Amino acid sequence: MNSIDTTTCFSLYRMGQLIRRTEEILLDEYAAKQEMRCPMHFCIGQEGAPTALAPLLRSDDSIVSHYRSHGYYLAKGAPLTEMIAEFHGKATGSNGGFAGSMELAHEEARIYSGAIVGGPIAIAMGIAFALKYRAAPGIVIAVVGDGSLDEGVSYEALNLAALHGVPLLTICENNLYAAHTPEPLRTMSRSLVERVKPFGMRVERFDGMDIVRLHLQLRDVIDEIRAGGGPRFVEIETYRFCGHVGPENDDWLEYRTAAEIAAWRRRDPLPALRAEALRLGTSEQVLRQCEAEIENDIAEALAAARRDPFPDFHSSLDQVWAQSYSPVVTEFVRGGEAAFDSRQAETRLKPY
Amino acid sequence: MRAEIANATDADDVREQSFGEAINDALAQAMELDEKVFLYGIGADGKSGIFGSTTGLVDRFGAKRVFDTPIAEQGLTAMALGAAVGGLRPVLVHQRFDFMLYAADQLTNWIAPWRFISGGRAKVPLTLRIIVGKGWGQGPQHSKSLHAWFAHVPGLQVVMPASPADAKGLLLSSIFSDDPTLFIEARALYSMREAVPTRPYFIKIGEALTRRSGNDISIVALSSMVPPSLQAADLLAQQGIDAEVVDLRSLMPLDMNAVIASVRKTGRLVVVEPGWRMYGAAAEIITGVAESLGPQMKSAPARVTWPHAYVGSSRALDEKFYPTSADVVAACRRSMAAR
Repeated sequence: MNSIDTTTCFSLYRMGQLIRRTEEILLDEYAAKQEMRCPMHFCIGQEGAPTALAPLLRSDDSIVSHYRSHGYYLAKGAPLTEMIAEFHGKATGSNGGFAGSMELAHEEARIYSGAIVGGPIAIAMGIAFALKYRAAPGIVIAVVGDGSLDEGVSYEALNLAALHGVPLLTICENNLYAAHTPEPLRTMSRSLVERVKPFGMRVERFDGMDIVRLHLQLRDVIDEIRAGGGPRFVEIETYRFCGHVGPENDDWLEYRTAAEIAAWRRRDPLPALRAEALRLGTSEQVLRQCEAEIENDIAEALAAARRDPFPDFHSSLDQVWAQSYSPVVTEFVRGGEAAFDSRQAETRLKPY
Repeated sequence: MRAEIANATDADDVREQSFGEAINDALAQAMELDEKVFLYGIGADGKSGIFGSTTGLVDRFGAKRVFDTPIAEQGLTAMALGAAVGGLRPVLVHQRFDFMLYAADQLTNWIAPWRFISGGRAKVPLTLRIIVGKGWGQGPQHSKSLHAWFAHVPGLQVVMPASPADAKGLLLSSIFSDDPTLFIEARALYSMREAVPTRPYFIKIGEALTRRSGNDISIVALSSMVPPSLQAADLLAQQGIDAEVVDLRSLMPLDMNAVIASVRKTGRLVVVEPGWRMYGAAAEIITGVAESLGPQMKSAPARVTWPHAYVGSSRALDEKFYPTSADVVAACRRSMAAR
């Protein structure tokens, strides 16, 4: 089926608009109020993949994302209020204020992220391995950028994923720059998918600016993974409209041309998605109402985040270790000091 | 042979096992106790059996739970984190400490802070078995013991057993602990034998064991330096010096209470560490004792460690590099002579 119904298109638009407006409002608030004191990587322009993915995700799926994770957090159904509280460093945040934006996670929603480039595929592979091992339902989505395919661990992970045939979808958002460094300065390779294909998994390259089409393409890929087809790799061509990190525009660094930026902005995925929703029968009135609700939700979340309490410093220091054991452990013994004869010879090694 | 196992009941059967056999026994019992435990690593299912520690396990538990891997230490370590997040209790084995340093990023950036970042909600029950080579010209890339590096990182447990019975109980505890654990095995200990209870049993991680009581001087040791320290105590006894030997058993958590209690009694301290001298575990332990008892000590604390250099492959160098019971005796005698 190569089309979507009115309801799905509307839900895509709702998610795309939620991500876009959350990012735009947070970006403005970040600069103006100085209340969100953590490095933040906004995803304006890159909403395509999380938006297209959102209706395809189930509660027993997991996502392990790069640090530009806000869209995926919302797409996984984790609460907006806890995300904004987290950015404000509040105890009510999704991580209790300990993660900020870069390691944003939500345990119950099964979305994790981190700042170290290349980690997500390998960790996601492990979660997917656990699902297969336990014959449990669900799939895992690893989200990385083109820069993460500069890291060796990504290839170790893709190899392991193919070797073990785990239910893993790796989404590689190619926004053409690793921070500010363009691909031609990083590699002689001109194709991400061709680098991954030899590991023995199917690879595809999709347009991240056409959300409806991307949704249909991802739907087919995910259906096949759910049916036991093994891991897949998808490159999504996209573009970051905002700066790499923080609220400031970083185009003054001149790492990309004005013509390139303008060309990608003309392909902004959201106006096209709104037009498609209208074409498929959602009324202008319903869209406006939805947009007003989103504005209201974000405003309420921001107000709550500002009111909420900060975490306690001393208790934060005690949460590093669980200091607990499986219920299998019912008693401890001290050990066999009386039995050990210390005069025994050490092992004489062989060549290995 | 029947031996006393503290806190164990008379009904406990014991059998004599080598260090490697005790580890094998712990792995088998962990997999029997819990379907979620699996074992992987380079050669984990191989006929060589990683010095006997994994021999026969694949035949008992199948290729799903015991399997070989590509040489991809970083990816494999990240896989352990994912598997733990996904509800399993992975055990990943590295045949040398040196090999796992590719995984330093995974351990320090992802695994160790995972629970903290989660706001104290997540558990990360994974175990890395790490074997330290010694002897037969292992040289600079096959013999390192970087236990102090990882004990420095908040969020990791670092367990270092010194005898077969401790190896079994502590490995079972490591596997069933809800925290990520580096279980460091000295290859030198693999031949040593001890009566080990046949049933699965657990030793609480973070509790030192006083292996010999004494009143004159405290020798604090761990892993492969425990047997030479006990031998040194025997030699010192012949010279009228009554040494106490405390086996730390883990560096993190670190049982400073046991160390301080011992030194409060004896007033003297020698720390014996199977690792490099500078910024090592011995330095941390001596600092902790000095902070608590400094002015009450009868003599300055001392440490017996590896030289702060690499072990050369030549047997002429290899044999001289590692401290022996004679070095421990000499350090204790210097401490006893000083005032």
